Amino acid sequence: MEYHNPIIPEGINTSKEHPLKEFFILVVGVIGLLATVLFVLSLVAEHLAQYIPFSAEQQIAGIYENTIPADSNVDPYEEKIQSYLQKLADQLSGAEDLEEGMSVKVHYINDDTVNAFATLGGHIVMFRGLLEKVPDENTLSMVMAHEIAHVKHRHPIKALGRAVIVGVALSVLSTNLGDSMTSRILGDAGLLTTLKFSRDQETQSDNTAMMAMASHYGHISGADTLFEILQKEQDENNIKTPEFLSTHPLSSQRIQNVNNRATQSGWSLDQEITPLPEEFNEWLAGSRQAQKVK
Amino acid sequence: MADIIVLILLLATGYFFGRMAEKRHYKSILQREKKYQKLTVVASKFPPAFKNTHDTELVMGSVVVSVDYFKRFVASLRNLIGGRVRTYETLVDRARREAILRMKEEAARLGARMIFNIKLETASISKNQRNNNVGSVEVLAYGTAIIPPRAD
Repeated sequence: MEYHNPIIPEGINTSKEHPLKEFFILVVGVIGLLATVLFVLSLVAEHLAQYIPFSAEQQIAGIYENTIPADSNVDPYEEKIQSYLQKLADQLSGAEDLEEGMSVKVHYINDDTVNAFATLGGHIVMFRGLLEKVPDENTLSMVMAHEIAHVKHRHPIKALGRAVIVGVALSVLSTNLGDSMTSRILGDAGLLTTLKFSRDQETQSDNTAMMAMASHYGHISGADTLFEILQKEQDENNIKTPEFLSTHPLSSQRIQNVNNRATQSGWSLDQEITPLPEEFNEWLAGSRQAQKVK
Repeated sequence: MADIIVLILLLATGYFFGRMAEKRHYKSILQREKKYQKLTVVASKFPPAFKNTHDTELVMGSVVVSVDYFKRFVASLRNLIGGRVRTYETLVDRARREAILRMKEEAARLGARMIFNIKLETASISKNQRNNNVGSVEVLAYGTAIIPPRAD
């Protein structure tokens, strides 16, 4: 018997295909699939989140209690600001027709940050920095009504539902992938979805806020002032976030929206505005002083 | 963002060096396979019948090849949807052929005329699957070399 080893042609056990081709197909395919699945999941979560009763949301907020800065109501000025803000919030929540069992609690934070936000359980946080920029009560009401509208439309719980679902999906996926670098990247992507409201939600809240202003004051003067302040703030700090990156609509678009709505609904934008309480600036100054001393 | 840059760098490094090593390896494999073409290797368990008695000796060759970052990344994506893991196929193919070549080189040193009953074993060397693992494969080829008696 004769034995021979013929020369075996190449490409039987291996493929001649360029490895980069497979790489791109896989990356684009998997990322596309992932994005679709996450998008659908977050839509479902958002839709279902509104069926969570508000009382349950308050319980969830209890878990996060320590993430909401504690009220340090030792300072008499802060107490005054706090109670004024709470009174305004109560009036506006009446105007917004909150569902039964829903309530809003305002927290004043003695900090320079120009910001205000609404979070789980009807907690609304107002920073001194923003209050110092506000010229009159109507403008402040616009901020307050906007944040109350977030609570009314259940935006915080929707955002949490989305974050939880997306987070779980990503963690399941990343453990399946098993590659540490991939899972680290997926983990970071999960962070991007933390309690952020979408631009549609912001616009919805703007609209509800204007309705509340109209029913409370009979006009919406001051609504546009808020966005002018925000615009100025952005220009001063030279923040130029392209629209698609920002969770808030551009201030100019929000002013446009205010004007459009005003014309449509016949709301006046140049009625007499309600001033802030006389001592309001004094309170703020006192509060600021107290922070400096600390 | 920093993570993504690190990932791209790792992928680029893996791709560039992995591809370079693979090309060079295949070139050397093809060259040496031609050189040892005459040294026949068969899987038959029984030695062919020769007219005169021959010496036999165990010969073996083993090789350990590591996967690069790029290959592993593609394979991990492949894990999600299934299919041919092409990036690993070339790796194992190279390891197998290299092991046989090393075995043949040893046999050639002994003056063998052929190797019978060749067997291949593979083992994956992967420690610590969780944190950045060592993704290497060992291939061992062994067989019985038939060495003609020396004319003395």
